[in-house]
Amino acid sequence: MSQNVVVIGGGPAGLEASRSLRDLGYTPILIEKEPVLGGHLARWDRLFPDGVEARSFLDPMVADLDGIKYFTDTEVSSINRLKDTWVVKLSNGLSAQVRAILLTTGFDLFKAEKKEEYGYGIYERVITNADLEDWFKSGAGPQFDNVNVIGFVHCVGSRDEKAGNRQCSKVCCVTAVKQACEIKEKFPGATVYCFYMDLRMFGRRYEDLYLKAQKDYGIRFVRGRVSEVSEDLDGHLFVKAEDTLFGKPMKIKMDMLVLMAGMAPSASTQPLARMVNIQTGEDGFFLPQSIIGKPCTSSREGIFFAGAATGPKTLPETLSEAASAALAIDRFLKTPQKR
Amino acid sequence: MRERILAAYDPFVLPFVFGMTFVLGYCLIALVKVLVQLTPADRRKFALSLITPTTIVKNIRDLFCDCLLHVKLWKRNPVLGYMHSSIAFGWFMIILIGHIETVLYIPERLHKLYYPIFFRYFMEEQNETLQGSFFFFLMDFFLLIILSGITIAIIKRFRSKIVGMRRTTKLTLTDRIGLYSLWAIFPLRWIAEGFTAGVAGGSFMTVPINWLLHNFMSKPENITVAWWLYSLALGTFMTVLPFTRYMHIPAEMLLIPMRNAGLPVRHTRKGFALTMLYSCPSCGVCIDACPMGVQKKNVKDATVYLVRNLKRRNNRRTLENAEKCLMCGKCAALCQVQMDACGLRLAYRTTHEQRSNHLPADFGYLAAVEPDVSAAGKTGVTAAAEAGAGSSGTSVGAQKVLYYAGCMSSLTPVISRSVQKVLTSAGVDYELMDKDGSICCGRPLMLAGHQEEARQLIEANRRLIEASGARILLVSCAICYRIFKEKYDLSGITVMHYTEYFNQLLKEGRLHVSNGHQTLVYHDPCDLGRGCGIYDAPREALRTVGQLVPALKERKESICCGGSVGSLTLRYEDREPITRGAIDNLTANNPEQIITACPLCLKTFGRFSPVLVKDFAEVLAEHLTPAQPTQA
Amino acid sequence: MIDFGYGLTPSATLKIENVDNPLFAELHRREPDVSKCIACGSCAASCSAGVFTQMNLRKVILSLQRGREKETLPMLQHCMLCGKCLLVCPRGINTRHLILSIGKVYKLEDK
Repeated sequence: MSQNVVVIGGGPAGLEASRSLRDLGYTPILIEKEPVLGGHLARWDRLFPDGVEARSFLDPMVADLDGIKYFTDTEVSSINRLKDTWVVKLSNGLSAQVRAILLTTGFDLFKAEKKEEYGYGIYERVITNADLEDWFKSGAGPQFDNVNVIGFVHCVGSRDEKAGNRQCSKVCCVTAVKQACEIKEKFPGATVYCFYMDLRMFGRRYEDLYLKAQKDYGIRFVRGRVSEVSEDLDGHLFVKAEDTLFGKPMKIKMDMLVLMAGMAPSASTQPLARMVNIQTGEDGFFLPQSIIGKPCTSSREGIFFAGAATGPKTLPETLSEAASAALAIDRFLKTPQKR
Repeated sequence: MRERILAAYDPFVLPFVFGMTFVLGYCLIALVKVLVQLTPADRRKFALSLITPTTIVKNIRDLFCDCLLHVKLWKRNPVLGYMHSSIAFGWFMIILIGHIETVLYIPERLHKLYYPIFFRYFMEEQNETLQGSFFFFLMDFFLLIILSGITIAIIKRFRSKIVGMRRTTKLTLTDRIGLYSLWAIFPLRWIAEGFTAGVAGGSFMTVPINWLLHNFMSKPENITVAWWLYSLALGTFMTVLPFTRYMHIPAEMLLIPMRNAGLPVRHTRKGFALTMLYSCPSCGVCIDACPMGVQKKNVKDATVYLVRNLKRRNNRRTLENAEKCLMCGKCAALCQVQMDACGLRLAYRTTHEQRSNHLPADFGYLAAVEPDVSAAGKTGVTAAAEAGAGSSGTSVGAQKVLYYAGCMSSLTPVISRSVQKVLTSAGVDYELMDKDGSICCGRPLMLAGHQEEARQLIEANRRLIEASGARILLVSCAICYRIFKEKYDLSGITVMHYTEYFNQLLKEGRLHVSNGHQTLVYHDPCDLGRGCGIYDAPREALRTVGQLVPALKERKESICCGGSVGSLTLRYEDREPITRGAIDNLTANNPEQIITACPLCLKTFGRFSPVLVKDFAEVLAEHLTPAQPTQA
Repeated sequence: MIDFGYGLTPSATLKIENVDNPLFAELHRREPDVSKCIACGSCAASCSAGVFTQMNLRKVILSLQRGREKETLPMLQHCMLCGKCLLVCPRGINTRHLILSIGKVYKLEDK
């Protein structure tokens, strides 16, 4: 009879950690509030930097769930401490009593309507990065004709006091460059602009992707922030920005604008933090014991983290943390209980 | 009644006489100073108002209702109202009756300043007469009323929450001396008259005291001591009065006629403004009113402290206070003496900028701005307008409209879009004034104290507006609306805020909407509500599309969203608590949506509101229905 | 011996040592957030006066930080203090107060 571990959140972190825990001999109970497993990864088309299909990672993970008890469309109703265990009650009526809980609740995409000046939800031709991935993946989405000029706006809902998020969302810059190349493949004759404040190409081969975007795809990078978007009679957009390197404001007519919506803390973070009495940072994400040394353990015994629940992360980092968290849980559960 | 003291004088009157002379002299000099500081035009205006019959009536009525009866305070809080009117009116009556008594019984002593005040010492009643008893009764009656007020005042000073005030003003040292001497005057009067009740006569208040301590009170030397104390209390109070908040008593008597004459605040410390400064009774209503008060550190920037620092010439603190203020006008709206708090701060900002700003403005480029007439409002719409309603000259829907969206609206595109949707649905012939970038209306510049520069913007906009040939200037921003109404001189053009305009369209039947039955709460923008008095039009219109629930405080008492450009120095982090306080006020009755009528309010609330925030035009546009076939 | 230095011709390089530190320190005292600017260009992009004139707050701040305050006058003169820059700044800088403070700290009158 192997020990149970509750894993809250069925995205890549939760899936990977569950598999590691199962391989270590435990029975993970995986809880996912959406109808399908996979988190945001299930929506993405191709991943940076090499354009590998997201499903090539996701499908094996979802196929390999033997020995994992998973519940979709299920939420956590309450968590209570009982001596040295946690009693987790689910919305489907079931409950589990475990010594360790792994929080892999991930992130929420910033609601681009909140940046009203960009007109998401008002102008048809303004979409988000997630909408674009949907379009690439399933073909569903806006069907525009005459797409000749396309713009990407970096930092929508990130690094912005006015949007309530001071943090950088880490992955949007490289996503924007990736999507710019992809849209150029879809519309080879189009002019594609990227409006950025900084270009954060920190990962392996990200800088190469940037080079490819400039050289091979002819993406035009404008260093400056978009301040407002307006519309003409036909629904085409007028985008106002400043080309800070050149030093002048500009107004460009565009056929499509893609907003790189950032990573905001998941809506589940605060309720869960209250249930198990742990801290969140000023930015709203969970606070681990140490951001550098102990990213997967919390200040409370038996509560662990993996993935974007503790801050914006890339997929490789998430998968590493998931494996690391599983090991940390294993070490914890094997430690003899204090009397 | 006859004179008990034939000399009609006793040294104890000296403190009172000194105090009275001092305060009367001070007031006279202050009056002359104020009148001299007025501009000649204002002086003439004031003089004329004093002989205009309607103004005279208004002055008398206001003096009676505000100074004596404190009617405004009654409406705010009956306990406080009673407290103040009992003391003010009661004291007025005993002074008046004292003079009447002197006129009736011993008119030759009327020239002695102190005689009517110390009547009970110098006169005695030989035989009880009906008239005498009547006067004794009146005096004691009003004394009782005053004493009841004083009792409440003492309670208020120690437990202000009992009388409904959350925060009250911190008193200065001189204020305290004034306060305690004021408190002392009437009990001392009671005791002093109690002493003489045995020899002079008295009524239900003074006679029982005399019975109680008859032996003690009959000794002549004790009698004199009691009257000395009374006189000292009076003398102290009147001597310190010009340096305390009680200066508002004489000052308000000058303030009311000056205000009714329509004098403006020109300089923060001269003329009309000086009278205003001295009229501040330090009551502290403005402290609770100020939206910045959600943070304790902002309490020192309430208007009562602005006035205090202006009087003390503490320029550093005054500047800090004047530049921080949101200029929302709530303190002025609730002020018991109708202090023009925004006018004072604006005058201070203007003077300060003139003195310390080294940046010369250059708005010459505005002259080169040509009107950009957008074709959007012309084609198709004019045809509908012609075919539509039978042209009645007074129908607003039939007149040509110039729509000025304003600076902020480019950052809230939903407003401009919704307004155009509504205008098109109503078949209105309209043009967009600022499609390709707008010239700011000028109000932010004006609020920063740059009046001259604002005038240049106003002139440039006026030229463009009058060139458009429109009859109606439509604005969707409360800030713009206020300056267009107050400072622009647009001949033949009516300025309308979209709330009143769309309401009018609804009433004229040019606009048709369906009711979504959602619960809405309407936020009164500071510049639209308190600033221009528009409270009802937006509510009337909103009732046709949803179910309106009230906020906790609204209309005149609505709470500023916190996003105002009126504040020059408030930091972004410090605005958040103000906004959250305003949101709590609006969501008290659990509405589904908050409706705003100003782009700045929309943007500010949208950041922190848990409830959906929508613009007025947006919610109307969502509920548009096509026009019903008209009954021809 | 001829000295082959380039002392005769004026240098085209930026002399960052020329920054008037006391003045900038005074500006920083009145508006500490001026140091938060990341020169993203939101202010310049939304500027009402920027449509018609040279006004560009990002450039103004940069010029002050590089010791070229004289170049700011032709820009700042046209500011209408409308507040759009304040609404869009991602760092939450009180840009209107910054402009008003510059007007008080730096003596930029037309000579």
